[in-house]
Amino acid sequence: MTLRLNRRRFLGTAAASAAATSLPLRASAATPFTMQAAWINDAEFAGYFIGIDKGYYAGEGLDLTYLSGGPDVIPESTIIAGRADLALTTPDTTIKAIAEQGAPFKIIGAQYQKNPIGIVSLVSNPINEPKDLIGRTLAVPPVNVISVNAMLALNGIDPSQVNIVPYAYDPTPLIQGEIDASLDFTTNVPYTISQQGVEATSFLLYDFGFTIYNDTVVVTEETLATKRAELVSWLRASRKGWDENFKDPNLWPPKWADTWFAGTGRTIENEIFFNNAQQPLMESPAGYMAMTEEGIEANLRALSEVGINGTRDMFDTSLLEEI
Amino acid sequence: MAVENSGRWRGLRTAAVLLAIWEIVGRLDLVAGGALPGISEILIRLWVDWGDYPRHIWATLYASTIGFVIGNALGIGAGVIFALSPTTLRLFRGVNIAAFALPPIAIAPILVLTLSGMAPRIALAALGVYFVTMTATVIGLSQADSRATDVIRAYGGTRWDILRRVQFRGALPSILAGLRVAAPNAVLGAILAEFGGGGRWGLGAYLLGSLGRGEPDRLWGIGLVATVIAGLSYAVFALLANRTIGATRAVTLNTAVPDATPLVTHPAKQIALTLVTIALPFLVWWTFIKVTGVPDLISKTPLGVVDYIFFGPTAESAQKRLLAALAETLPITFLGMAAGLGFAFLLAISSRLFPRAIEAFMPVALVTQTMPLVALTPLLVLILGRGTTLTLWVTISVTFFPAFVTLAQGLALVPRSAEDLPRAYGAGRWTEMRMVTIPASLPYLFAATRLTVPRALLGVMIAEWLATGKGLGNLLNQSRGFLDYGMIWTVAAVSVLLSVLFYQAVVIVERRVLRRLGMATAE
Repeated sequence: MTLRLNRRRFLGTAAASAAATSLPLRASAATPFTMQAAWINDAEFAGYFIGIDKGYYAGEGLDLTYLSGGPDVIPESTIIAGRADLALTTPDTTIKAIAEQGAPFKIIGAQYQKNPIGIVSLVSNPINEPKDLIGRTLAVPPVNVISVNAMLALNGIDPSQVNIVPYAYDPTPLIQGEIDASLDFTTNVPYTISQQGVEATSFLLYDFGFTIYNDTVVVTEETLATKRAELVSWLRASRKGWDENFKDPNLWPPKWADTWFAGTGRTIENEIFFNNAQQPLMESPAGYMAMTEEGIEANLRALSEVGINGTRDMFDTSLLEEI
Repeated sequence: MAVENSGRWRGLRTAAVLLAIWEIVGRLDLVAGGALPGISEILIRLWVDWGDYPRHIWATLYASTIGFVIGNALGIGAGVIFALSPTTLRLFRGVNIAAFALPPIAIAPILVLTLSGMAPRIALAALGVYFVTMTATVIGLSQADSRATDVIRAYGGTRWDILRRVQFRGALPSILAGLRVAAPNAVLGAILAEFGGGGRWGLGAYLLGSLGRGEPDRLWGIGLVATVIAGLSYAVFALLANRTIGATRAVTLNTAVPDATPLVTHPAKQIALTLVTIALPFLVWWTFIKVTGVPDLISKTPLGVVDYIFFGPTAESAQKRLLAALAETLPITFLGMAAGLGFAFLLAISSRLFPRAIEAFMPVALVTQTMPLVALTPLLVLILGRGTTLTLWVTISVTFFPAFVTLAQGLALVPRSAEDLPRAYGAGRWTEMRMVTIPASLPYLFAATRLTVPRALLGVMIAEWLATGKGLGNLLNQSRGFLDYGMIWTVAAVSVLLSVLFYQAVVIVERRVLRRLGMATAE
C-alpha cells in the first residue's frame, strides 16, 4: 500500500512506453533516493511526476521514491528522521528553524520563485490589498499564520486589527460570506470557487513585500556532504521535468487521471488550471528550480522584517551551477 | 407480539419523517445556504463518485483491521495478565487510563513524526481498541461463576484449568461485547491518521483532497461510507456474539479500569506501588522513542519535554504560550464537560419518558459519532459561528454518546418494584423519575462522567483546531509551522496528563459519594 508500490505498479502497467521497458534494466544499478513532497498529489508537483514517468530520474541513475505530504506531515521532519533525502518546504519555516534552533538544513533550490500563497476573496466583497483586511475576518491555516503576520507587519498593519481564524481547507465559509477572505494557493482556490458559480479575486503576499520562495528544496548538511552527486542529478532531472511540463501546461494533467491523480478527490480541469496558473510563479531567467542572488536577497530581506534572521550561507547555489 | 410490531412500525415512521424533513431542508438549501445537502443529493453524488471509493475503502479497512487485530491481541493478552495478577493491574493503571484518555488529535501528529508508512494509521486504530477490549477481558474473567471454579478446585484443578475451563468460557460474552464497541473505534482511528499522514489512499486521504472543492455532498458521502463501515464492523461482532452464545444479555459499555483489591497493606509498599504506577506511562513513552530511534531534535522523551518547558533557551516563551493556551482551553473544557454530561443525561431521561422519539433520534446520533468532524466544520461554522456555542456543540457531539448509552442502561436497570411504589401512591412519571430512578442510577451517572470528562478536552481541542483558533488545539497546529517540536510534544503530553487528571478526579469523588450512600461502583 505504500507509494513506492503504487509507483512500481504504475510503471509496470506503462510497459508499452519505451522509457518504462528500459527501466528494469537500469533499476538494478540505480541509487535509491527518496523525496518528501509538501502536499497531496496535485499539479504543484507535475514536474516530478513527469521526471518519474519519462525516466528522467532513472536516466540520472536515481531510483526515486516519491512521498506525498499532508497536514500532519512536516517535510523537514522526514529528512531529519532519515526517511527521505530531500524535502520541499516553506522557506520561512526552514530558515527560522536554522536560525533559531540550529537545525542542520541547507536550501539547494527553489521550485516557486514567487510564493503562490495569497489572499483570496470574492469579487462581490473584494480584498484587493493588505489594508483592506483591517476589521475583516481572514481564515488562515494555523501553519501559515507566520507568513500572514509577516505580510501584515511589512504593510504596517497590526495583526490584532485583523480577525484571524483557522482555515480548514474548505472554501464553503468564504463562498457563504462567513469569512471575508482566506489564505491559500492562488493557483488553486479561485478555480474551485468559480466552480461554485462565484467569482474570486486574489493577490499574492509576494506582491506586498513578503518576497519569499516556496517549495524550497531542502536537505540536511549530512546528505549534502554524502550524496552531492545524487542531489545534482535530482535537480537536473527535475528541471527537465518542469521544462517538459510547461511546453504545454494542458498536456500532462489528463494523462495522470488514472495514475498520480487517481482518487485525490480533485478534478483534472482543476489541475490544468493550477498548472497554467503556476507557470509565471516558477519561471526564472536562470531556469526552473533556480535561486538567483537577487531572489535570495529578497527572501532574507522579507524575513528579517519579521525578526527571522537568515543568512546567505543557508542557501547553497553551487549544486544548481553543476546542472 | 402485535404491540411490539406496531411500536417498531411507529419507530420506522418517525425515522422516515425525520429523513423526509432532512431531504426537504437540504434540497431547498434552507440550512446555512445549502451547506447541508439533501439525502438524495448525497446518495446521487456517492453513485457518481463510486469509482474513487474501492481503493480508499480498501486502504482504510486494511489499516483498521491490522490495528484492530494488534490492539485486541494486546488488550486480551493484557486483560488475562491483569485478571491473574491484581498487582500488575494496579501497576498498569496509569498506562491504561492514559490509553483511554489520550486525545487522538494530539497523538496523530506525534505518530506521523515518529513512524512511517501505514504504521501511524495502524497505531491509532490499535490505540482506539486496546482499552475497551482489555477492560472487557478483565471484567469478563473476574466475573466467572465462583461455583464452577470451586468444582474445578475441588477436583484438584490448577489455576490454568480454572482459567481455561471456566473463566475464558464465562468471559466470552464480555470480550465479544468489547470487540463490538472496539471495531468502529479502529475504523475512526485509521481515518484520522489517514487525514493527516500524507498517504494517497484511505477515506481520510480522500476527505482531505475533497475538502478544497467546497462540495458538501461529496463530504457527506465520505462520512456516510465511514459510518456504514463502522456500523457494519459493529454489526459483525454483534452477530458473532449472538451466534456463539445464543441470547446474551446486553453487556454494558465498560468504562471502569477494574479496581485491584489492595493486596499490599504496608504503607511503604503502597507508596512504592503508587510511584511505579505513575512512572510506568512515562517509561512506556521513553521506550517508544528509543525503539523508533527517531533523532532527539524531533522526538522528545519525558525528560526532553521537561527540559524544553523549564530549562531550555526558549523555556520562558514556551511557558508563556502554554499557559496562555491553557487559560483559553480549560474554562471552556469544564463548560464542555457539563454540557456533554447534561445533554447525555437529558437524552437518557427522555428515552424513558419519550422512548419513540429517542429511538428515531438514535440513527442521527450514530452518524454524529462516525462522521469526521472536519467534514462538518463549514456547516457548524455557518450555523453556530466561531465562538463558545460552536465549541460546546462540538464537545457535546464528541462526548455525549458513550455517556448516554451508560446512563440509559443504568436507568433501565432500576428495579421495577422500586418504581411501583411511588406509582402506587399516584405519583406522575416525572415524580417517580425524580424520587427513584435518578437516585438509583447514580453509580451509572458516575460511570458516564468518567467516560465524558477526558473526552471533553478532545472536543474542545478539535473546535479550537478547526474553527476558533484558540488554546491548545491552535497552539499544537501553529507549532508545526515553527518546527517547534518541543511544543508539539509538550501539548500532547499536557493534554494526556489533563485527561488523566480529570478521569482520576471523577474516580475519587465517585468512591467517596458512593461509599457514603452505600452503593457499589457500576462497571
